[in-house]
Amino acid sequence: MKRLLCVFMTMLTILITGCWSSREVNTLAITISIGIDKTENGYLVSEQVLNSRAIASDKATMESPIVIYTAEGNDLTEITRSFTAQLSRRMHNAHLRMVVFGEDVAKEGIQNILDYFARNYEFRTDFYLVVAKNATAKEVLSILTPIEVIPGLDLYNSLKMADKEWAPIKSVRIVELINSIIADGKNPVLTGIEVSDGQISPKSTDVLQQSGGYQLLKYTCLGAFNNDKLVGWLDEDESKGYNYLAGDVNSTVEYAYFDDVKITSKIIKAKSKTRVYLLDGKPAVEVDIKIKHNIENVAGELDVSSEENKKVLNEILANKIKFLCEKTLDKAQNELRTDIFGFGEAIHRKYPKVWEEYKKNWDNEFPDLPVDIKVEAEINQLGQIKKPLFLKEKE
Amino acid sequence: MKFSKKMAGQGKKMNETDSVTRLSGDIYENVRELESVFGPDSDLIVRFFKLKNNRDFIGANIYIKSLVDRGTVNSLSVELSKLKCGARNGEFGINVDTFMSNFSGLREAKVGYDYEALFEDLLAGNIVLLIDGCKKYLAIMADSDEGRQVDEPSSQTVIRGPKEGFTEKIECNILLIRKRIKSPDLRVEYLSLGSITRTRVSLMYLHRIAKEEIVREVRNRLNNIQIDSVLESGYIEELIKDDRYSIFPTFLSSEKPDSVVGALLEGKVAILVDGSPYVLTVPALMIEFLQSSEDYYHHFIISSIIRFLRIVAALLTLLVPAIYIALTTYHQEIIPTPLLISIASQREDVPFPALVEAMMMEVTFEILREAGIRMPRAIGPAISIVGALVLGQAAVEAGIISAVMVIVVSITAISSFAIPNYEMSNAIRLLRFILMLLAGVLGLYGIIMGTIILSLHLCKIKSVTVPYLTPLAPKIEGKNKDTVLRFPLWTIKDWSTGVNKADGARMSGNNPVDQRQKEKPEF
Repeated sequence: MKRLLCVFMTMLTILITGCWSSREVNTLAITISIGIDKTENGYLVSEQVLNSRAIASDKATMESPIVIYTAEGNDLTEITRSFTAQLSRRMHNAHLRMVVFGEDVAKEGIQNILDYFARNYEFRTDFYLVVAKNATAKEVLSILTPIEVIPGLDLYNSLKMADKEWAPIKSVRIVELINSIIADGKNPVLTGIEVSDGQISPKSTDVLQQSGGYQLLKYTCLGAFNNDKLVGWLDEDESKGYNYLAGDVNSTVEYAYFDDVKITSKIIKAKSKTRVYLLDGKPAVEVDIKIKHNIENVAGELDVSSEENKKVLNEILANKIKFLCEKTLDKAQNELRTDIFGFGEAIHRKYPKVWEEYKKNWDNEFPDLPVDIKVEAEINQLGQIKKPLFLKEKE
Repeated sequence: MKFSKKMAGQGKKMNETDSVTRLSGDIYENVRELESVFGPDSDLIVRFFKLKNNRDFIGANIYIKSLVDRGTVNSLSVELSKLKCGARNGEFGINVDTFMSNFSGLREAKVGYDYEALFEDLLAGNIVLLIDGCKKYLAIMADSDEGRQVDEPSSQTVIRGPKEGFTEKIECNILLIRKRIKSPDLRVEYLSLGSITRTRVSLMYLHRIAKEEIVREVRNRLNNIQIDSVLESGYIEELIKDDRYSIFPTFLSSEKPDSVVGALLEGKVAILVDGSPYVLTVPALMIEFLQSSEDYYHHFIISSIIRFLRIVAALLTLLVPAIYIALTTYHQEIIPTPLLISIASQREDVPFPALVEAMMMEVTFEILREAGIRMPRAIGPAISIVGALVLGQAAVEAGIISAVMVIVVSITAISSFAIPNYEMSNAIRLLRFILMLLAGVLGLYGIIMGTIILSLHLCKIKSVTVPYLTPLAPKIEGKNKDTVLRFPLWTIKDWSTGVNKADGARMSGNNPVDQRQKEKPEF
């Protein structure tokens, strides 16, 4: 009897609590992306919510796969709560894939917004953050994408892919972003997203029935920040240069001219090493970049299989990359005046005492930092054929 | 005739208050007594006979019509008619040995003195010979061989390995085992259980391998059973189980002689029950319920993988619906986004919470499974059509059940059939429902709690004094070569698993092929 009572009471403690935190999947509004723009009253938050009914394969409707809800207000948490007044479901943020900042917000500073994303337990840390270039975040979010029907997932996957395959792009997650804002002597970059040219804006699934000709979303280049404020954009070459300097290139394509022969290389490995040393008591930086590449295309008459030519090829590629890096460096030092490469941090690591002097005034000291860039390239493979197909043998 | 002595002993024990009633010298009184016990119009046949040369000699052969073999009765009658006996009536008792010697060369026979034993012998299918003036009776073995022939087992099918299965006849089952172990070490003990049914039960073990404590324990438990009937080995299992409330089987029941022989060789004790083709072996360890005799007949790598697969299947049966419920109602954040989107789109129209949905489907499956066992064989296809339609298409199309749920139920169902032992499969399937409830109430936390409690329970229960999880917990170093994985025969130097005698371990096999020789073939 006593035992039975024990069992009964244990069951009570478990069962009476009920399923208080349970939430069925079909009572959730799954947020895929969040866009934040600046308005006069504060923020305009756009949430891209999954319309799961439209995605079901067996009973697909003509509804849009996503719905954009927007709300304006001064406080992010308040705005998020106010969404409940607009839709019948609870916002579920754990599957957030993309956060898009409007350019205005980014220029004003994103520190306080990041605090919200980092503090709220529902957000995971695996979403990407990007800045909308020449567009508002709301515009970016409301564009439908073909193939991957959920735009947020499309953005997420293409950023992930581009980060690996295309040098000007860098995918940044919240932890990395916050760390580089917090760090002394390092400033963050975020990839910019643009709405490409097109006749029609695909805000309806009808537009997607066409094979093309409508606007698409594309990542362009990097936006440089000073602390949490966007200070300017790098162009495509400069973005590449940034990634080479930071050692973030996984694989990309680069071409260079040797006289009138255009040689395209696929970079398969790029490593960068930042070395700090003191020059007359002042810190100086040397960046060593080592590159391995495969020949992809030879447009012209050049026997790439000969050892001498290989050397030349390596040299011209190295020069090209060095040029890109120097261009970036120049822009960062002289125009934007922000240390996005983390040279300050490197100095801090190696010469903490010297850093103490520079720490406070780093933004002004950075432009005068002597940086030496060395690039070494090495051919790995020539491809399926050795000599160009149409090379005329010299007689 | 150890067996009838035991039976007589058992009979005495049952009626300890009654003093033993001896046979009287008057044959007619004895027959009257018998007829009064068996009642009028029974199938008890009493045939009086006289000897050719001695008309004073009155004898009777008594048997139960349905139990004896007709041929034996006939040949016995012929023999009796040819018999000669010089002794006069009343003096026969002195010459009973002479009389018996006439039979002993031909048949199994024995002498008894009291009614209790007489009844038992009659009911065991003996022909009882009574002779006037003699206070003894002679019981001649004549039980009929009627019954099912040795057949392929229906519950444990194998691809490779012997296809013989036990039958309902205990002698036949003992034969099947004896045939495989030609060793005088194999001991067979008989006893009879059930105050009414007097079911014959036998205990088999290998004297040199089985631990004495275990044999003694099993024997004691069996002897102390007090019940009126034993119709199947399940009765015995239930009565002498260590943890009687545990739903996990702690007696391994098998229909296959080769797996019972395997268990005997590992030092286990087999319990055979007359009338049941299921032979119990104890102590049964958890891991044995996930093993099949076929594991030893295939290549060890394949067997190991298949064993591993079975364990995975057991875990899937237990956990898949619970995890599905927990993830979709509490922890959506740990589902990969594309999967969540897919689940969300499927669950869009489903009107029930995941727990209710899962319960409905799992119960439907259980009903289908049960119906599949109980229904007449002829309508089998009908139920599979209805099942497939109800469980699958229709429910999904009607929007009552999501398609994922059908997959979850199917995985559970298929996995549960991959568990080789039916009782273990039942236990796991039942626990699945408890875990589903816990998952529905507490999410993953509930599942973890449930599995912890389950593990504690498994560690606690014992099978005839041996911990259930031996040799995994308590871990016996170096004796895990035949548990989750099956090591090749030549690597297992010691087969003992803590169940058998330390010095009675089996010898490992060797590989007599000279490895060096293989490299240079001779042609």
